[in-house]
Amino acid sequence: MTDLLTNWADWLPQLLKGLGISLQLTGFALALGLPLGLVLALASSARGPALRWPAIALVEIGRGAPALVVLQMVYYGLPSAGLNLSAFLSGAIALALTTAAYTSEILRAGINAVPQGEVEAGQALGMTRQDILRFVVIPQGVIFAVPALMGFAILIFQATALTFTIAIPELLARAYRIGAATYLYLDVLILAGLVYLAVTIPFGWLVNRAARRLGSHLG
Amino acid sequence: MTDPIVSLKGINIRYGTHHAVRDVSLDIAKGEVVAMVGPSGAGKSTLLRAINMLETPASGTLHVGDFTFALDRPLGQKDLLALRRSTGMVFQQFNLFPHMTVQRNISLPQMRVLGRSREEADRVTARLLERVHLADKAQAYPARLSGGQQQRIAIARALALDPQVMLFDEPTSALDPELGLEVLSVMRELAADGMTMIVVTHEIAFAAEVADRVIVMADGQIIEEGPPEQVIRNPSLPRTQKFFRAILERH
Ligand SMILES: Nc1ncnc2c1ncn2[C@@H]1O[C@H](COP(=O)(O)OP(=O)(O)OP(=O)(O)O)[C@@H](O)[C@H]1O
Ligand SMILES: [Mg+2]
Repeated sequence: MTDLLTNWADWLPQLLKGLGISLQLTGFALALGLPLGLVLALASSARGPALRWPAIALVEIGRGAPALVVLQMVYYGLPSAGLNLSAFLSGAIALALTTAAYTSEILRAGINAVPQGEVEAGQALGMTRQDILRFVVIPQGVIFAVPALMGFAILIFQATALTFTIAIPELLARAYRIGAATYLYLDVLILAGLVYLAVTIPFGWLVNRAARRLGSHLG
Repeated sequence: MTDPIVSLKGINIRYGTHHAVRDVSLDIAKGEVVAMVGPSGAGKSTLLRAINMLETPASGTLHVGDFTFALDRPLGQKDLLALRRSTGMVFQQFNLFPHMTVQRNISLPQMRVLGRSREEADRVTARLLERVHLADKAQAYPARLSGGQQQRIAIARALALDPQVMLFDEPTSALDPELGLEVLSVMRELAADGMTMIVVTHEIAFAAEVADRVIVMADGQIIEEGPPEQVIRNPSLPRTQKFFRAILERH
């Protein structure tokens, strides 16, 4: 038992560095993926088929394809298309695409939850369609989507572990490296699991709080 | 009538095969207050919402203020916005923007639609909040207000754009009676100030007292109209008599 704890104490700094990278990947994925998700959400409910069908196709492909496949395609596929990206950037872009596909559905549900009566009020006031979207529909749709988006952020944080397959030194990759050096795979993976939980459990608790506050705020 | 501010001619509105408004024509003078009554499904809301084109008639002509549109072809976006700018509408469900303060609910449309500066818009908003007796609620969010207060804010929001005519669709139907009274009293003041108003309502007492003219709709048509004392007290059609008797019994 003391062996285990000393090992954990030895490994923890390494794993925390990996956690830093996992969190960075999560941050990039969300920062790139959420705006794109919003664009896809709006485009996939657009009136014009020229906008709607490509958006729907992108979303369906993005949600249908396993995140690991998207990741490998970006990492191995883009260089053959003449675009050489670092592993980190490939990972971030791949996760951002997955994020965009999933969050577009979440945001679309939020946007659809905005009461039609408020849209009509905006129309009756003579507001343009763009202004109604910008000031009435999108802000509220995003607020409605916050709990589900936070839940998704936890999933995408967990999905950063997939990037160990393209040699990004994130949390899981570092745990494997330690395992390979010490053959104490189980011990180090347990520690890695605990580090993941140390992030996801408090965050999940925040999600619940956000959902409850939202429920009481907008009636 | 010399110069109607609202004029509908031969308006037809269909939902699929359902003919909700049938060849309705109606002239309304500046400053006139018209109460529109009739049984559920008569087409009152549909007709009212055609005046600001929330419903799209299949045919007819629509004249509001300075605008005249033939409706057998689609309206351009610019015409549509101009038409809506010159009308104000108040809904049964208030439809305030819940994520904005009262002040922003009223000021934002002024800034976006009329291009007023924030200072100017807020000045107009303050004046209108006085007028609907809610000057102390500028910074409140709608969810914190009673239904009657929300509806008065909705009236202020519509008035802030200086409409030439105000359209009300059952503005008190979602309210407890005493809260409805607050709203009706604001509407009474508005009528006294000379606003042109078209009010779909089941408040017969209000119609009798405030309206210059009562219009009875049934089956997508205007079946009877005239001054309230005539239409409400001495309706000529048996159908209208029955309608008013049923309402009076309910109260
Ligand atoms: N969006 C719609 N789609 C299909 N039918 C509709 C729609 N809106 C209204 N109708 C139909 O048109 C007719 C007129 O409806 P409208 O809402 O104008 O009646 P109303 O006189 O306002 O009734 P109420 O007093 O219940 O509000 C009704 O038969 C209704 O079912
Ligand atoms: Mg109605």
